Amino acid sequence: MTSGIVLYNYELDDSCYRVRLALSLLGLEWQAVAVDVFPGKEHLSPPLLAMNPSGRLPILRDGDLVLHGTEAILAHLARSHDPSGEWLPAQGIEFAEVMQWLIFSANDLGVTIAARQHSLFGTPGDETSLRAASARAVRIMDDHMTARGFTQLEWFAAGHPTIADIALFPAFALSRDFGIDHDEYPALRRWARRFRALPGFKTMPGIPDYH
Amino acid sequence: MNPKNCWHPLGLSHSIEAGSSAGTRLLDRELVVWRDNSGVAHVWEDRCPHRGMKLSFGFVRGDHIACLYHGWQYNSGGHCQYIPAHPALDVPKTIKVPVYPAHERNGMVWTALSENPPSVPDDDEPVVPLRSLYLGCGVEAAAAALNACRLVPFGSQTPADTTVSRLSDTLFALSCAQDRLLVGIQAISNTRTALHLSIVGSAERYNGAGQSHLNGWALQWRQALETRAANARLDQDVA
Repeated sequence: MTSGIVLYNYELDDSCYRVRLALSLLGLEWQAVAVDVFPGKEHLSPPLLAMNPSGRLPILRDGDLVLHGTEAILAHLARSHDPSGEWLPAQGIEFAEVMQWLIFSANDLGVTIAARQHSLFGTPGDETSLRAASARAVRIMDDHMTARGFTQLEWFAAGHPTIADIALFPAFALSRDFGIDHDEYPALRRWARRFRALPGFKTMPGIPDYH
Repeated sequence: MNPKNCWHPLGLSHSIEAGSSAGTRLLDRELVVWRDNSGVAHVWEDRCPHRGMKLSFGFVRGDHIACLYHGWQYNSGGHCQYIPAHPALDVPKTIKVPVYPAHERNGMVWTALSENPPSVPDDDEPVVPLRSLYLGCGVEAAAAALNACRLVPFGSQTPADTTVSRLSDTLFALSCAQDRLLVGIQAISNTRTALHLSIVGSAERYNGAGQSHLNGWALQWRQALETRAANARLDQDVA
């Protein structure tokens, strides 16, 4: 049995970045186990497959719990380690909307992950259709934040940042990695600026540090 | 339209916050729109003279914009003022980013491509920002679609007769019942056009519910255009 939080992490993986962001924004202590995904394919090695048979990162160990699935990990961290309850509101409309955007992240943004891996690591896929589908998903996010702006709501699912914002941020912040510029998404540019100003915000390769 | 003889909108004013920058394209030229901390908007070529990095990837500090690559800092006239790798250097005046004129009218940031641009249109009506729409067609097709559009006025659920007038090469007005929208047309390329929409009127009347209503109309209109374009492609494939 291990005590404390351990993240099986690959620095260039945007889903691992979602979890690193959550750990940092929640101010948690954690340890990383580096996994050599590219070129080592260590995520497909027997010890990693034993923890996640789907062969994907991130994997989180928290005491006796071994958990995979980015959005499940975000929800677990918020529910178990955020005494304020704000990152995952317990009930009502805010809970429902956080769930809606987490599931959007898990489903609709999968194509942005595939597009980025295709661009960076040459994984299989058709670049044109991956980009078109990614642009559609990002536009859905921009349309949502445009509409929110008319009622002075600055975050995706509540009046304050939640794990929905954490799940959605990397797809936009890293979109230039897969050929989608920020030009046509004014509401997401403004939201990303606010997100970057959150205490505990961290960048990753592909997301610039301003100095 | 002679692109040299008119002003071009590049976005809604409120979408460029003080201390931020955004890249855009006008007739295939890459431009950066940035707003300094005192709130003044600037339009420049989106290219650092040092290594060609896009300045829109950089960041604004005070009245300077800094390139992300090596931190070269430019003042609002486009002159390089500071090179971090050579802190004591008095930077030569020749290191300069091409600067375009920038003006704000009708809730939009405008620029001109000519060195002797026409005078700035002096009409500046009080407006409430609506949104920008990005379309996969050229400006003429976008203008034709605008000419045929029917607004659903605020407070109504049905499209109504809409008077469409072209105020200049790049600015349309849509009037319907009590509502009036100004639409700035940005020619991004031959196949891509941005429309920037402002609502003429007071914040008391349109902030919140009015913006949401007209945003809903704009999204439905975009949807209809995209469906029509997709069907036309399908017809072409069959033929």
